[in-house]
Amino acid sequence: MAETVVPKIMKQGKVTPWLYLAPALIVMTIFIVYPMFNTIGLSLRDKSGTASAAVTCSEDGPCWGIFENYRYALTDEIDPSSPATIWQSFWASSYGNNIKWILLMVTGTVGLGLLVALLSDRVRYEALAKALIFMPMAISFVGAGVIWKFVYDYGTQQVQIGLLNSILTGLGGKPVAWLSTPGLNTLALILVGVWIWTGFCMTILSAALKSVPSEIIEASRVDGASEWRIFWQILVPIIMPTIVVVITTMVINVLKVFDIVYVMTGGNYGSEVIANRMYTEMYKNFHSGRGTAVAVVLIVAIVPFMIINIRRFREQEAMR
Amino acid sequence: MNIERLTNWFRHLPTHIVLILLCALWLVPTLGLLVTSLRPVQAVNVTGWWTVLSPPIGSSEYAQQCSTCHGEEGDAIPDADLTDPEVVGDYPRSTQLLAMLEKEIDGQPHLEDNPLPDAQQAANIAVYLKRISGIDAPPRFTANNYIDALMGYRGKRTYLEDCATGEQALDLNCNISDLLNPRGMGRAMLNSLLVTIPATILPILFAAFAAYSFAWLDFRGRQFLFALLVGLQVVPLQMTLIPISRLYAQLGLNGTFWGVWLFHTGFGMPYAIYLMRNFLGSLPRDLFESAYLDGASHWTAFTRLAIPLATPAIASLAIFQFLWVWNDLLVALVFLGGTTPVLTYQISNMVTSLGAGWHLLTAAAFLSFLLPMIVFFALQRFFVRGMLAGAVKG
Amino acid sequence: MVKAKRRWVILSVMIIALFLLVACGGGATPVATGDSDIDCMSAQAGDEVTMLYQWSGNEEEMLNEILQPLVDACGIVLKPESTRDQALLDTRVQAGTPPDIAFWNVTQLQQYQDKLVPVDQLGVNTANYADFWKETGSVDGKWLGLAIKADPKTIIWYSPANFEVDGYTVPTTWDELDALVEQMVADGKVPWSMGLESGDATGWTGSDFIQDILLVKQGPDYVLGIMDGSVPYNDAGVKEAYEIYGKWAADETYAVGGADGTLSTAFLDAIYKPFSDPPEAMMVKQSGFAGSEIAKQFPDLEYGQDYDFFGVPGAQGLQGGSDWMMAFSDKPAVKAIFAYISSDVGGQKWAEIGFNLTPNKAGTNSYTDPILLKNAQILAETQGFTPDIGDTIPGGFGSAEWKAIVDYLNGADLDTVLAEAAQVQAEALAE
Repeated sequence: MAETVVPKIMKQGKVTPWLYLAPALIVMTIFIVYPMFNTIGLSLRDKSGTASAAVTCSEDGPCWGIFENYRYALTDEIDPSSPATIWQSFWASSYGNNIKWILLMVTGTVGLGLLVALLSDRVRYEALAKALIFMPMAISFVGAGVIWKFVYDYGTQQVQIGLLNSILTGLGGKPVAWLSTPGLNTLALILVGVWIWTGFCMTILSAALKSVPSEIIEASRVDGASEWRIFWQILVPIIMPTIVVVITTMVINVLKVFDIVYVMTGGNYGSEVIANRMYTEMYKNFHSGRGTAVAVVLIVAIVPFMIINIRRFREQEAMR
Repeated sequence: MNIERLTNWFRHLPTHIVLILLCALWLVPTLGLLVTSLRPVQAVNVTGWWTVLSPPIGSSEYAQQCSTCHGEEGDAIPDADLTDPEVVGDYPRSTQLLAMLEKEIDGQPHLEDNPLPDAQQAANIAVYLKRISGIDAPPRFTANNYIDALMGYRGKRTYLEDCATGEQALDLNCNISDLLNPRGMGRAMLNSLLVTIPATILPILFAAFAAYSFAWLDFRGRQFLFALLVGLQVVPLQMTLIPISRLYAQLGLNGTFWGVWLFHTGFGMPYAIYLMRNFLGSLPRDLFESAYLDGASHWTAFTRLAIPLATPAIASLAIFQFLWVWNDLLVALVFLGGTTPVLTYQISNMVTSLGAGWHLLTAAAFLSFLLPMIVFFALQRFFVRGMLAGAVKG
Repeated sequence: MVKAKRRWVILSVMIIALFLLVACGGGATPVATGDSDIDCMSAQAGDEVTMLYQWSGNEEEMLNEILQPLVDACGIVLKPESTRDQALLDTRVQAGTPPDIAFWNVTQLQQYQDKLVPVDQLGVNTANYADFWKETGSVDGKWLGLAIKADPKTIIWYSPANFEVDGYTVPTTWDELDALVEQMVADGKVPWSMGLESGDATGWTGSDFIQDILLVKQGPDYVLGIMDGSVPYNDAGVKEAYEIYGKWAADETYAVGGADGTLSTAFLDAIYKPFSDPPEAMMVKQSGFAGSEIAKQFPDLEYGQDYDFFGVPGAQGLQGGSDWMMAFSDKPAVKAIFAYISSDVGGQKWAEIGFNLTPNKAGTNSYTDPILLKNAQILAETQGFTPDIGDTIPGGFGSAEWKAIVDYLNGADLDTVLAEAAQVQAEALAE
């Protein structure tokens, strides 16, 4: 296994590895591990953090005892009156929104990233094209919020200073309130996310494509395979491991998405995602118990994807 | 030969179209920001940025309704010279203008056979008249937004105008020291640098140590610990703010640079270790073996072999961490706050504050992109290489 | 290789120099000049006070100008921080490193009641404050916050010039206002300009409007009842107010752009619409600060002729935004600021600078701005001053109220959204 990577010949003291690890272990314990346990502890307590969460149970409603905050985090947004309303309210909740984000943003970034990677490989202005697509990665979320204001702005006058509504009214349509219409605003925000993250996917996928030996492709061309077939039956299977990594990495990123929503709608108009809900509970409603319970739910949701990523890394190590 | 190249090019035409279209789509929002930041405040809220090169508001209405009599320049009738501010000053808005147009001149309707313009048209004409009479003739482009943003000017005119008349606010001196005004982007940029540079160096240093240990030293639980540390990426940053803030209060680190540096170091660590470990682990084993046979200690191997060879990984990590810290808002907000405002903090404060206009905000936002853009375009090569090391290195 | 090394050395020297530059650039200590009317409360020159407030830009400058005489007289050093993000204040307080003085909402008095220094221990001149200010600023009988700035919200802005052109007159009763609105709609004019969008605080303009309707239809006791929980937020009276508001706000013949317009227009943009050329609407309901916003956006307009305001007709009592000064420390420099703000000199200076209204009675005759003068009279004559409902109930009721308004305009069932807000109200007040 991977343990054999270290040359046996390199003798060392028992302490040496830990000396090298010490600075990293110390800061990570303080800044990540300690807050994580603190969070788990607080999620079982009431809003002031002094009493058990069970005291906040209402007499007539359902109660999960010490896990009361989790009941709130998981079920408060759900309307249980009928199966239809359960589905509807779930789909409109922060969890539903996060699922929309994952479905659309991951397919959007990976799909477009792959497309640009494929196309730019065949042109001479490859570097320029890639730089343009990648550029938004260097822009802050606050800045991106300002940038997209001039795309989504909704004006009540004839003149629109938002690009999209200007096009719509120019074609004779009515302006659309992109950011304040529930449902639609999540799509509008996801578009911003795709704009920012496509460059990331493109770069990694492009490198994977370039590492595919050209002889294989040439050979299939000679055999008369169409470009479409070459793509689906040769390229995609070869770079599949990379695609999986990109997808899981993006899923982790998207689950933690916060800034775009925070900057552009503040989580209003039903555009809230899980991380925003946590922030709102903690800092707007000052309910640390509920906020931390939402945080724990979020961590639990991310863990499986992290495990996939780490497992793949170890497989790679083993192959070496 | 040429024909072959031509047909080849045509075969690739769909590729070019799709690619150029995508690039254009990606560029347009940022372009809008740049253009807006260069427009005068009067224009930003009234017309879209893409109209910046079209004729001024009201010129078409003027040409249609007024130019036959008043002339294209507006000065054809000496008794009603539309370039005279005193004449135009009486009709600043559509209501006054329409009232005047309804009156007859020598028994003839003012506009002869033409119908009266509607309110919107009249308003546009009024704006145009103010322009040609010089009452209010904003230029197409201006650099004032950038000056105002840099100096932290928040008044009703512009920094240069206020300073010219000596009516500047209490916190402005109208000299080069204003660049350090705590409310300006100039000072914020300096603060951002002070936060970013150490917060980039520290995590890379710590991660390099740890990665060396993971890659070339042997100890129990090596793989498990590594997976654990990398797995800590799952922790969302927002939830650590309060516990860390409490801790800082006891240590007196709130509001200090050290607080921010250390926080970013902690949170940059999982990814940095992952990437560095990947890179160091992929270096040829013989290299380390022969160094060790020559009697090199681990410290020598680390400083003389691992670090120099890992330069590409360090460079790319540096860029990543630089961008991350530079663009971060939350950590700077909570741990530094307003006494040492950084760029993102200033911008978000302008977004939420009463009456800070979009002209200033766009200029401020563009200023904040400047450095990351330079870093990114200059070091793109490293950036990409590092990302690959992190994701697909086998 | 050598060359590269030298470059690094130069770079690091430059960076170190930069650090030193900033570290030392603290600025000189101001020297006390001594103004006999200002009591420094034995604060020493060079004493520092950290302050946290939500004002920025123009507002921040006005506060600076108001405090300048005190700074000149006592030589204290102000360390202000400006943010709209309440998370900043809260993390500081939770961490045990609060600012010396915070300027925030009345809810924070309750939220931080254990950590605040009572106002009467800070050398405040209590005679300058009306009783309702003391009562509102007290928690469990302890006076914890000094009302520092008031802005009557129960007013409506309009353009006298436009009213004259169309032959409208200022209404004096609610029925007249209702009739005027219908008349405008019949004439093809849009009566209201509304805008709810305000980032993190989206919805607050709607809650102001609804509270004014409550003051008209139910009166101040009812509103206070909502604040102490004796009136649940889904009471019939509240529902009626929502329906009146919704009828206007969600219909494009009554409000610019209908529901979409109301929801996505920024509150500042909404202020401009009745005064643009041509006007998009006839009236906008907004606090006193709208006056200076109009003046800034349209420098050619004149107060009294092109823009003016009238009290919401029929409103019993006044609703107002108010900002509160609270102390987390009782060091001399903090006392000096409280003493100065509550003194005659401070009140007059505040009114002179015209940072909205000062609750300090000494300021009443010192306003130079006609808008503030008119507002000050309205404030002086009011039967009572009810603070904002959302500002008063702790525990996130404010954002629940905003959410209810936004959801209602977005088409949600009114009974459901009010029931949800009422639940938050009950939970918040149960503790």
